[in-house]
Amino acid sequence: MQQQEIHKFLERYFHANGCEITDKGPGYMTVQLTIDLDKELMNRPFYWHYLEKTGGIPNPMQLTLITNQQLAPPHIKGEVIHFGSPRLHQIFDSARNLAGYIRLYENHRQAPGKQVPLRPWLGMNIRVSYQCDRKRDVFKSIGLQLINGQMVESFHDRLLGMSLTPKIPDYSFTLSPLIMPGSGVFRVANFIKAEIEQEDHKWADEARKRWQKDLTLLEHFYEEAEEKGESYENEKTALQEQYEPKVNISIINGGLFYLTDNAV
Amino acid sequence: MTVQIGFDSAWQDEFLKRIDDDGPWGNWELYKLAVEVETHTTIPDFEGLQAPKHLPSLTPLPHQLEVAKQVVESMNGKAILADEVGLGKTIEAGLILKEYMIRGLVKKVLILVPASLVSQWAMELNSKFFIPAVAQRKSYVWEQCDVVVSSIDTAKRNPHRDIIYSLDYDLIIIDEAHKLKNNKTKNYEFVQNLKKKFCLLLTATPIQNRISEIFNLVSLLKPGHLGNESAFYENYKKDSRSLNDDAHLKELVNKVMIRNRRADTGIEWTKRHVETIPIEFSQAERELYEAVTELRNEENWVSSSQFSVMTLQREACSSREAVYFTLQNMLKRQEQPSIAFQEQIQYLIKKVEAVQQNSKAQKALELIQKINDKVIIFTEYRATQMYLQWFLKQYGITSVPFRGGFKRGKKDWMRELFQKNAQVLIATEAGGEGINLQFCNHIINFDLPWNPMRLEQRIGRIHRLGQEKDVMIYNFATKETVEEHIMKLLYEKIHLFEKVIGDLDDILTKLEFGSIDDHLVDIFGRSASEGEMRIKMENLTSMIQFAEDLKEGELNAATGNS
Repeated sequence: MQQQEIHKFLERYFHANGCEITDKGPGYMTVQLTIDLDKELMNRPFYWHYLEKTGGIPNPMQLTLITNQQLAPPHIKGEVIHFGSPRLHQIFDSARNLAGYIRLYENHRQAPGKQVPLRPWLGMNIRVSYQCDRKRDVFKSIGLQLINGQMVESFHDRLLGMSLTPKIPDYSFTLSPLIMPGSGVFRVANFIKAEIEQEDHKWADEARKRWQKDLTLLEHFYEEAEEKGESYENEKTALQEQYEPKVNISIINGGLFYLTDNAV
Repeated sequence: MTVQIGFDSAWQDEFLKRIDDDGPWGNWELYKLAVEVETHTTIPDFEGLQAPKHLPSLTPLPHQLEVAKQVVESMNGKAILADEVGLGKTIEAGLILKEYMIRGLVKKVLILVPASLVSQWAMELNSKFFIPAVAQRKSYVWEQCDVVVSSIDTAKRNPHRDIIYSLDYDLIIIDEAHKLKNNKTKNYEFVQNLKKKFCLLLTATPIQNRISEIFNLVSLLKPGHLGNESAFYENYKKDSRSLNDDAHLKELVNKVMIRNRRADTGIEWTKRHVETIPIEFSQAERELYEAVTELRNEENWVSSSQFSVMTLQREACSSREAVYFTLQNMLKRQEQPSIAFQEQIQYLIKKVEAVQQNSKAQKALELIQKINDKVIIFTEYRATQMYLQWFLKQYGITSVPFRGGFKRGKKDWMRELFQKNAQVLIATEAGGEGINLQFCNHIINFDLPWNPMRLEQRIGRIHRLGQEKDVMIYNFATKETVEEHIMKLLYEKIHLFEKVIGDLDDILTKLEFGSIDDHLVDIFGRSASEGEMRIKMENLTSMIQFAEDLKEGELNAATGNS
């Protein structure tokens, strides 16, 4: 992520959270936090607790972020933000937390007078992590139509091309799902699991080989010890944690999308 | 074989609840941002390094990147990083740590370093790597913070020890790990019992002369890698000169150890200039030295070993204060000193009192005034250290002392004082390790250590990455004393100062030499005559030279074959 991208990202994040950017210039921005975002980011629960108890006037903080030290005027004092800086990661986490669940409607431009049916879709953005002593991730976005069970990939990209709104547009009605959302999630999970099982797991076999090799070494080391003791058990557990291949499916975010017949 | 697949069901439970409660629902813009974050934070491949992309203010050197890649990809995150002093092992460790953190494989980290480096490590990890490392100051940080830097001496003591043992660490980094070479020590046991997935041991001097030290270090990292103890010694110790065995062992060790030499890195290093400055004793100093030397022939000097005569000789070359201090201690140590012994000591103390000036200190003063820049003086003796501080002050030169025994805060403070306010830092041997002073480029070796490795450690404090100027090293050696012998016959003959530590390492290992200290004590302590001393010294140096030739021969053979 380049510094310019980070800068844009931050602007969008604060806007989306209703914060006013009070000052900005090349390479920096100062943001007036809302009460909610102060609680989310500034980590001062005692202040907020105290305020709620005493009924004082809340005074959320301002935050100055510098995304480019070369461009920012030298008198500007603030936090330098890089990819990997704790503050940015906190904001990343917060974006995930604040928008884990969503419900949106397609903002169709149908001629008024005619009622348009909107079909329910379950959309899930998923991270599949392949993990042993090394790790890699795959991002998947799955959409499941909750009436006929149609499943599509790259669902998020399709949504990006549509106009969506949190309120149901005029002259629209939603169709009731035949597949309950709970079993929808179950279907998506099974689909992904089945897909993973089809894959070639050479990486896992290799990890197991490395694991076995280290285990053999460990056994050899303690071969002559009568009492193997705690350090042996420690080492053994550590090897398992280090090498044991596993795949973790985690959900970044998802929700219900009500779309017109031809949207997907 | 199938793989265990885990599915995070927490999301689902909350999702269904929100459907029931009809919200609250997230904001579309934030929802999109969260997905964008994801595309930036996924790691597409098992191989390759992600960390450098995310560290805009750091430009790692090629050898550092290579080390990080090798540790992550082919060493499974368990390695001894044994680059020569000053090649940036901290950077390598930081890169590896960052890589694992980005990949989400490491969260809980314990970093054990010498007390004097705790703050520096924490600072570097924060500023160069954006890793929120915390220097341990309160006992609750162990649990509350994910990345903690501490000294091993603190960590191994309760209440810390119990807390640390109760935690599962993903990665443990140990700096100056050569101190763990002995598996009978408390420190070794402490580290052995830590729960750790990945582990990095950092050291500049991994291979000392003894094969057991290698075994212990490697076993800490990867128990069994070199077999169990009895099998190992059976294979290697008895027949350790057999080259085939050595090659095999070397290969095994290389699987867990990476060692870069300065020469291999292709980096332009600033030069080292070494100047030996001969010192002429004053009459009184000469008399003191002679008096001490004669003790060897004294018959009633039975109670003390050869070694203390040697010590006194070397101290006489340093300062009268150092001699006085030792004499006092010798007297105190005897419960009921004989009259003769007391007289002997009194006689020597008279000689000490007769010394009115310190020729070396005079020379040092001249030199410091001439250099007119920051200077580090190393001495082996605390008494000399204190004297020098007083002496320099008489001439308006500000200095700060530095000792291994200082607490961490005091070390940091002294370093900062030296950088900002004082012209001279006077360090004793124990203070040599674990402090980086690249902003200074002059060293005076007021007296010389006997172990050449220790000398390299001293120089390594300033001749490292980040040093922008040529490094000046001034060695003081008093004429016609043990010091001059060591200087001339040992250090100069093997071109120690031009050499880098790695070579010497190799050389000493090849010879199964035993410790250099022992050899020197034997040479200077047990030789009956000047002539015998010279011959033994010649022997020692030619052995070293022989090993050097051997090594060069090997190198030539290797290149010839390829």
